Amino acid sequence: MNFSLSDEHRLLKDSAKTFLDAEVSLRPLLVPGATVRDAGYADNWAKIGQMGWAGLLIPEEFGGAGLGCIDLIMIVEELGRTLTPSPFLGTLLGTLAVMKGGDAALQTRILPQVAAGEIALALAAAEADGREDGPDRETVAEHEGAGWRISGRKSFVIDAAAAQMLVVAARVGGARLLFLVDSGKPGVAVALETWRDITRQVCTVTLDRAEAEPLGGGDVWPWVRDRALLALAAENTAGIRHVLDVTAAYARERVAFGRPIGAYQAIKHSLADMLGQAEASAAAVLYAAWALAEEDARAPLAAAMAKAYSSDAYVEAAHRSIQIFGAIGFTWEMPNHLYLKRARANAEMFGASREHRDRVIDLARAELAA
Amino acid sequence: MDFELPSDDDPRRVEVRAWFEARPRPSGRQLAEAGYATPHWPRPWGLGADAETQLIIDEEMKRARVTPPALINPVAINNCAQSLLTHGTDAQRERFLMPALAGEEIWCMLFSEPAGGSDLGSLRTTARLEGDHYVVNGQKIWTSLAHKAKVGVLVARTDPASPKHAGLSQFLIDMDTPGLTVRPIIDMSGNENEYNEVFFEDVIVPADRLLGQLGEGWALSMRQLQTERVALSKPGAIWGSGPSARELVAGLDAIGALDDPLVRDEAARIYIEGEILRLLAYRSLSDRMNAKTPGPEGAIRKMLAAPHGQHVVDLAKRVQGPRGLIDGAAAFPTKGERRGMFDDWDYAFWFSPAVTLGVGTQEILKNVVGERMLGLPREYDPSARGPWNQSQGGTAPQGGTAPSPKAASPTEVAS
Repeated sequence: MNFSLSDEHRLLKDSAKTFLDAEVSLRPLLVPGATVRDAGYADNWAKIGQMGWAGLLIPEEFGGAGLGCIDLIMIVEELGRTLTPSPFLGTLLGTLAVMKGGDAALQTRILPQVAAGEIALALAAAEADGREDGPDRETVAEHEGAGWRISGRKSFVIDAAAAQMLVVAARVGGARLLFLVDSGKPGVAVALETWRDITRQVCTVTLDRAEAEPLGGGDVWPWVRDRALLALAAENTAGIRHVLDVTAAYARERVAFGRPIGAYQAIKHSLADMLGQAEASAAAVLYAAWALAEEDARAPLAAAMAKAYSSDAYVEAAHRSIQIFGAIGFTWEMPNHLYLKRARANAEMFGASREHRDRVIDLARAELAA
Repeated sequence: MDFELPSDDDPRRVEVRAWFEARPRPSGRQLAEAGYATPHWPRPWGLGADAETQLIIDEEMKRARVTPPALINPVAINNCAQSLLTHGTDAQRERFLMPALAGEEIWCMLFSEPAGGSDLGSLRTTARLEGDHYVVNGQKIWTSLAHKAKVGVLVARTDPASPKHAGLSQFLIDMDTPGLTVRPIIDMSGNENEYNEVFFEDVIVPADRLLGQLGEGWALSMRQLQTERVALSKPGAIWGSGPSARELVAGLDAIGALDDPLVRDEAARIYIEGEILRLLAYRSLSDRMNAKTPGPEGAIRKMLAAPHGQHVVDLAKRVQGPRGLIDGAAAFPTKGERRGMFDDWDYAFWFSPAVTLGVGTQEILKNVVGERMLGLPREYDPSARGPWNQSQGGTAPQGGTAPSPKAASPTEVAS
């Protein structure tokens, strides 16, 4: 048993921090009317490509770094802390599906391009009802000749407009399967949403008899989903910690009634609660990362717990942060709202906390009965 | 990083298990002499065990259904006896340690007073040096186990002219000394008394019972309150000794309450809290193994764990409806052997207000977390500077910045 990060993990995180602090600025977003394009979405992606982060999980034989889930959260936490706009997350989720479900030929074709930063991917799982777990009412895949065609519509797809290849969840009979779709081919249309979290690109994808390649069987989706939950939970955890740090710094400096406001228990205790939630989220995320890296039997439970807990805690922390900053924290020119919007979006994406808690009970019951 | 716990065939576990199998009902003395009362202490009292070995010993003791020495003599083992290792004299170690670890002499902590619970530094009990002994006068309150204790760890004011935190010293006293009176307090659970008042009227304490240096009482007291033995207790009610979130989910499942979506959602929240607290407990264990010194993060864990314990028993009580108000009503059907009051859901519920009061109120813990870990300004204490006896004006101190329910007028009882 050892809960400490290795030197390699710490080094990875430190280098990511140094790089992102130097290269990423949210300043262009602190102007009313700004959109995700204004914050260097494309430029950041080019720089991230040079860092090799797109190939973090990709096996070395395909030009990636061949690292695991614990390494991954070192990078994702730093991206989450800085709210770095880029198609990193969409590409990560698509990559996971290709790694788990793609056959050798498909992997050989796709993964080296991703690892080299030449193409971006996206994962289209949800539909208009917002549910990520199916049942894909709107989207159907059908055999045609030797191949497949997909028709329908996927909603809330992160980074779809930047992606050359889309991983699409579609209904086949009664089951959910994943497919790879070239977004440049006929029958694929991507429209940007006017998404409140302007650090993220979110789209609707319409498919009309679009050519598709299958990505494995029914076991691919849950595997990808659990890792998606980890990524969002890691973003959440780093977000909570960042929001706490800047808010505590403000409370140490801002003076009212002759004392820094952090001297007052209404503020001090609120910040103490935030630290408790930050520590709890961090522990949940680290455990989930370990469990997923080890393919431990508790991994789905650990991922669901981390996502549910960290999402609620992030929303609460970002809200408290605005309250403690006071009216200035409510303005567009301060970054506080960007964190609240990211927190809200992450809480709704890939299943709301209540849905995960529903699953947690089922998994816990099974474990307690065993 | 590795979250794997020591396995069933770990040689350390095999050895400990064999010991318990050879001694199905070990005496406290046997446990202490084997080093199992305080495995992390140096020999001859412990085994110099690392945290993982400690975890194994704890688990094997539980498996053998042996009550842990730390539950029998918690004040000595979890809080105070270690101060003798670092600050005691050879004679004190020789006299006190083995009987304490064996559970033959129960200890109590004579800390809180009517005028100072959260604000411990305001305590007014005095110890005056007269020749080869001290004379103690004053009153303590909320003293767990005083009615069973042979040994008391007393913090008293030895220098009223020093600032409030500087004039305190600690003593090891015999609880049967003439002039010392113990009076039980029955708490709101109605259970057998846990707490007591202790009155000192010209109680004579030999000078060689001073623990540490004169004036070192505050530092020793803080360390004793902060130092938890590596926390191996599961998260749950009664500071982790009572029902847990896992037992809550199993119990709710058994009575079909998880079909109610609101109960189900709340049970899941509580279960997640419990699992995370378990991780945090293991993390502090792991930090010890990596030789990190325990810091104020213990305050965070208690800040999270105490309300969690309340949530566990509160949901169990609510699903009972009016039946839950019947004295002793069982929340869930019991299975297997009972563990006494520690699996009594009804007792755990009525005890639960205490867990955010004892060993640091929730408010004090949040102050500690905010100030020590987030660098926020310290609370303002006008009585902290200058000679203590001048700030008091010779009268009973007025309530401090965070008066606790503990400070309710027990002086009437005293007179």
